[in-house]
Amino acid sequence: MIGYLIRRMWQMALTLLLILTVTFLLVQAQPGDYASFYVLDPDLPTEVKEQMRATFGLDRPLWQQYLIHMRNTFTGNFGVSFGHFPRPVMEVLLERLPRTLVLFVTATGASFYIGFLLGKAIAWRRGGFLEYAATISGTTLFTVFTPAFALMMIWVFAFKLGWFPVGKFLDPLVWRGSDVTANSVFSLMLITALAFAVFAFWVLFALKRKGNTGMKRLSIPIILVAALAIPLVWALSGIGTLALDILKHMVLPIVTLTLISFAGTMLLTRNSMLETIREDYVMAARAKGLPEKQVRDRHAARNALLPVVTSLIYSLIFAIDGSVIVESVFSWPGTGMTLLEAVRSEDMPLVMGAIVFIGLFSLLAHVIVDILYVYLDPRIRYQ
Amino acid sequence: MSVAQTDPVLKVTDLTLRYSTRQGEVKAVEEVSFELAKGQSLGLVGESGCGKTSVANSLMRLLPDNARLVKGQVWLNGEDLLSLSDEEVRRFRWRRIAMVFQAAMNSLDPVYKVGQQVIEAIETHGVETTIDDAEERVARLFRLVGLDPQLMERYPHEFSGGMRQRAIIAMALSCDPDVIIADEPTTALDVIVQDRILRELKSIQQELRMSVIYITHDMAVVAEVTDRIGVMYAGRLVEFGNTADVFRAPMHPYTAALMSSFPSVSGERRPLGSLSGEPPNLLDPPLGCAFHPRCAYATEVCRRESPPQVSRGQQWAACWHPLDGQTSSTGNHDAY
Ligand SMILES: Nc1ncnc2c1ncn2[C@@H]1O[C@H](COP(=O)(O)OP(=O)(O)O)[C@@H](O)[C@H]1O
Ligand code: SF4
Ligand SMILES: [Mg+2]
Repeated sequence: MIGYLIRRMWQMALTLLLILTVTFLLVQAQPGDYASFYVLDPDLPTEVKEQMRATFGLDRPLWQQYLIHMRNTFTGNFGVSFGHFPRPVMEVLLERLPRTLVLFVTATGASFYIGFLLGKAIAWRRGGFLEYAATISGTTLFTVFTPAFALMMIWVFAFKLGWFPVGKFLDPLVWRGSDVTANSVFSLMLITALAFAVFAFWVLFALKRKGNTGMKRLSIPIILVAALAIPLVWALSGIGTLALDILKHMVLPIVTLTLISFAGTMLLTRNSMLETIREDYVMAARAKGLPEKQVRDRHAARNALLPVVTSLIYSLIFAIDGSVIVESVFSWPGTGMTLLEAVRSEDMPLVMGAIVFIGLFSLLAHVIVDILYVYLDPRIRYQ
Repeated sequence: MSVAQTDPVLKVTDLTLRYSTRQGEVKAVEEVSFELAKGQSLGLVGESGCGKTSVANSLMRLLPDNARLVKGQVWLNGEDLLSLSDEEVRRFRWRRIAMVFQAAMNSLDPVYKVGQQVIEAIETHGVETTIDDAEERVARLFRLVGLDPQLMERYPHEFSGGMRQRAIIAMALSCDPDVIIADEPTTALDVIVQDRILRELKSIQQELRMSVIYITHDMAVVAEVTDRIGVMYAGRLVEFGNTADVFRAPMHPYTAALMSSFPSVSGERRPLGSLSGEPPNLLDPPLGCAFHPRCAYATEVCRRESPPQVSRGQQWAACWHPLDGQTSSTGNHDAY
């Protein structure tokens, strides 16, 4: 297994190098001379020009600029953003990244979960109403033009029904007069969510390992109590309304992203499941007298999961693409929208930073999926 | 056991099974009847496609969607298996009838530890109440089938073919079933491993006084491990009797032909010529005796009418012209 992981890491390192090189070349290939463009810009203060020159080595030969670009990436020094002057690119990105992560991880998690459940169900009971409904709506959503669908969601649920805000990260009216920043509230929300996830996992798996049936039965109630306690604590904390405001803004983009991407997982799971259902070990599980649900979930679906997880990486990429579009349509100030804005305003340092960030992020996602796969398939774990 | 010694553990009467396919109905099992006593072992033999697996799967009520049980009963310790509800059948499986699968190589789920998969069966049927007891039981079973109990913690891909087959046998034994069906249990293994596993299975069977049905197309296996033998052809049982009797003097020409086409125990190969051609397509089996196109003794009546059941002591065959012990030397099936 160690060998497998080392091999994969090695491939990742190469990919990273490729991403960095391509970003560099892209910027160089911009029409006009990047260096002189900024150095001659009369609107930029002299000290910024100096800083730029030093940061990117603008007066040096191209190959040296390339090396400097590499070094800057590894030290996290992307220079100062023009659009958000005088904030460093790194600071802007670090502020936006969590917002994208939340959107993205929640939507990917939800669409994977829904897709897997539906795929499993329609493979097990072929030809039912559920199969038609899920397949038709899933593929329609999967192939629909994303911006159009996102706009439609806004039109229906924000304009017509008024259930959710039209877009953006928060409502200034709610936040007027409060002395906390949106970012600190958002960070607290993130920490809460993470802590809850870790706790729930621990309860589910640590207690299960013990093999104690009494504790197993307790695990779900324990998690439920925790899930109910969290909103209560937030409501009493005084910043509850603020958190609720952010939450309201999150719902529509997450639902949209989930809807356009669950069908991929669903159809894959269905096909994979149709294969595993015919396997001898599924027949054996049935012969052992296991309840149908256990045959389906513990044997057929558990094995069907493997190829689906492998392909999870493609749905990740799909979701990254989707999040740039969805973020812009919903004016959700995450990394994707930042990138688009930066491109529009020719904020080159921010463009480069954002691309490198997104690249790093998808690489990290790759690593996580790889580790997950190794964990799920003992045939790889014990090689 | 509350059942008296003489009562059969398993009694099958008139079992008839069809598969519906686009080409028509496959008559996979036709009016099969037999009995199995406690501690006894029965061999079901016949070429591939004669309906042996279909019989086995009917006994487990583990049939594909296109299968239809037309008639018949399966009595296990006096309980009619075919009248049970799905949920009752589920509890019944493995607890009362377990199976050593034909495809042992792939019958273990690759993502779980082997021991865990045995424990799963024990837990489902509540044979042991605590995890520790269940693990203890699996360790005992592993030792019984010649596996180191430490192998419980290993995954199937770390097992050789023989080890997997042993693990499946341990799994089949795990809930103390009344009957174990071993469907071609060793065909995927090499001959030496095959032989060892079969011998061990037989000694376990005798030690635990289990009833076992061995399904195979290999007459040598049957000769070695069974008390009784049932010969199947084209979905029907065509001969039945004590293994020793049948081998000494087969009554049905098909049995005789099968026996002459396996290498004898002493090793010299007998001529294979006596059984040419293939078993019939069960979509449309031949009229009269289904064996008539391949039978050296076939006459006009064989082609027209189903043969009667003829008995000789405890042995019977369905044939118009059964072989008697004396004339059997005219075939190439000399005394076993
Ligand atoms: N699910 C099925 N659908 C249609 N025909 C089947 C099915 N399973 C088996 N058969 C047919 O039934 C007959 C008996 O098969 P089987 O019981 O597997 O025989 P054996 O185990 O003796 O080789 C064969 O002709 C086979 O093609
Ligand atoms: S009934 Fe006739 S055809 Fe059939 S086995 Fe006997 S002799 Fe041969
Ligand atoms: Mg078979």
